[in-house]
Amino acid sequence: MESLDLLAGGFALAFTPMNLLWVFVGAFLGTAVGVLPGLGSSMAVALLLPVTFTLDPTAAFIMFAGVYFGGLFGDSTMAILVNTPGGSTAIASAFEGHRMTLNGRAPQALATAAIGAFIGGLVSCVIVVLFAPKLADLAINFGPPEYLALSVLAFIATASVVSSSVAKGMTSLFLGLGLAVIGIDGISGAQRFTFGAPQLFDGISIIVITVGVLALGEVFHVASRVRRTRPGQLHQVTGRPYLSRADVREAAPAWARGAGIGAPFGVIPVGGAEIPTFLAYGSERALDRRRPHPQFGKGAIRGLAAPEAAGNATAGTAIGALLAMGLPTSATAAIMLAAFRQYGLQPGPLLFDRSADLVWTLLASLFIALFVLLILNLPFAPMWAKLTKIPRHYLYAGIAVFCGLGVYATSAAVTDLLLVLGIGFVGFLLRRFDFPLAPIMIGVVLGPLAETSLRNALLSSGGDYNILVDSGISLTIYGALLLIIAFTLFQSLRSWKGRDV
Amino acid sequence: MTTLPESRSEIHGPTRWGTGRSGVVLAGLMLALGIYLTVGIATMTVPTGAESPGPTFFPTILAVGCYVLAVLLVVHYLRHPEAPADIGGIDPLEDSFEGPFTDWRSLGLTMAGFLAFTLLLNPLGWILAAALMFWVIARAMGSTSAVKDVAVALLLSCTVQVAFSAGLGLNLPAGVLEGVL
Repeated sequence: MESLDLLAGGFALAFTPMNLLWVFVGAFLGTAVGVLPGLGSSMAVALLLPVTFTLDPTAAFIMFAGVYFGGLFGDSTMAILVNTPGGSTAIASAFEGHRMTLNGRAPQALATAAIGAFIGGLVSCVIVVLFAPKLADLAINFGPPEYLALSVLAFIATASVVSSSVAKGMTSLFLGLGLAVIGIDGISGAQRFTFGAPQLFDGISIIVITVGVLALGEVFHVASRVRRTRPGQLHQVTGRPYLSRADVREAAPAWARGAGIGAPFGVIPVGGAEIPTFLAYGSERALDRRRPHPQFGKGAIRGLAAPEAAGNATAGTAIGALLAMGLPTSATAAIMLAAFRQYGLQPGPLLFDRSADLVWTLLASLFIALFVLLILNLPFAPMWAKLTKIPRHYLYAGIAVFCGLGVYATSAAVTDLLLVLGIGFVGFLLRRFDFPLAPIMIGVVLGPLAETSLRNALLSSGGDYNILVDSGISLTIYGALLLIIAFTLFQSLRSWKGRDV
Repeated sequence: MTTLPESRSEIHGPTRWGTGRSGVVLAGLMLALGIYLTVGIATMTVPTGAESPGPTFFPTILAVGCYVLAVLLVVHYLRHPEAPADIGGIDPLEDSFEGPFTDWRSLGLTMAGFLAFTLLLNPLGWILAAALMFWVIARAMGSTSAVKDVAVALLLSCTVQVAFSAGLGLNLPAGVLEGVL
């Protein structure tokens, strides 16, 4: 087993005091933003991105991975205790999880969630270690037409599946693509859409866009609603989270099924873990109906176990897809891809050859991060819930200060601060009118790859469009895209029919 | 699978024709982006010898897409007016509050706070500009103790200055406190 040897080497490199510190910092921050409603791992990574450029790449990515997993660990805590999910990935956990709290089983619910997230993450990390190198070997044959197909798959899938309306998802995507074409064209050297402003020659920095859309936009949205909403009521928890043997026996199959449902979604670009968590919840409910004593609606432990495992299973394989193919499947993964590029690294098959140390240290750190997160979350979940006592006005004012700091620290340019203000306002509009945000990040990050792949493919074929569908790999990818579109159509047809009943 | 919660609620209260249709501003945004791209494509100086497909090829696709989406969004909002999306995970206080959905005063103050930070950062320096922004935004979001806010704001901005200048070696402008720091 070659990959196990490589992983062992990764563990050897990961077990340095500094790397362990970054794992811990990432896991800690990730849990914190996960617990706080409105804050997610994508916002945390966006705000950390400028700061991490003073670190070496390995440390930065170890921290990002901790944040990514940590956000998924933390978001269920508030869903269970307050019925206000810390993020969209915890909505499915809130249904049964909060009912368990109302039944006085909050400690069991917190334990089920933390262990579920741990199992989901562990399963997906093992899958990544075993299959990512094989996926990379496959991806090494990718030429421009295949990368174009991959980008188109990511574009259409994120824009159509996550959003309530395809037009909204595509709008968000095109905003991202439009922002990405500004600056000097890499192939011809032409100045594009700069209108002579030297500040735009290098394009709009990815940091400006991520901080504006994901962090400052959220601050503006909360400000626009601040007198009309109030934080939910926190239920007091007594006792440490624990599970009885019977609870474990009840939850175990759901953990396994949840991990199984979540893992493939890391490779399918549908904008993150929201869809698999709902799929896992829905399938557990369907199974529950056939049991002699249905538990759903009364605080079913399985209804909490499955989505939690699914969410973290998705996050793990998403990192695998990012490393092996350079395919980001969620907003957080898109920012991580941008971070790789800032360090001059290109995720994809060559990364496994050229930066093998970094890849395997990162993968080993994922395992360490999961154990750190289990320790942080299992005994201490009630303490994390106290974070919501921070007054909202200080929390968001502080986030605004860090937005300003992050943008100024990377460029020292006042024009970038003006740009981030404008983009933050667009981020507010998108939230206000319920537009999805993941497509804008995928568009910004993959737009340039899609454009250069398309043009290089057409240049090499002399303008013959057949080259785009000339290989089995591209045809397979477009086939997968058609399946996703058919599935979305089927879903919307079904809900449309259901409305008449 | 039908467990996805309704992201939008029914529209309550008095309705005018415009209710739930303000989302057309996004159609305006797409139109603006389309025009920006079109003007940029028209005025672009393509280097001689650039092979086809050149630098205008991809933006042309984008510009066309922007116009199509602007039309689709107008159609969408004409046919399905929507109640605004709320912040996930926070209870709305709809019953006890009258007035427009968006609190423009809070939002305006928050944005003004960030704008003031942008313009005053170099003249005033990080500590004062960031503290001012923090204070304005905290006030805009309904903080009730102005003096305590000043203390919290200065504490945060000073901590950041120390941590980043001393710890990470980032240069933040000192501004009027140039000689003091």
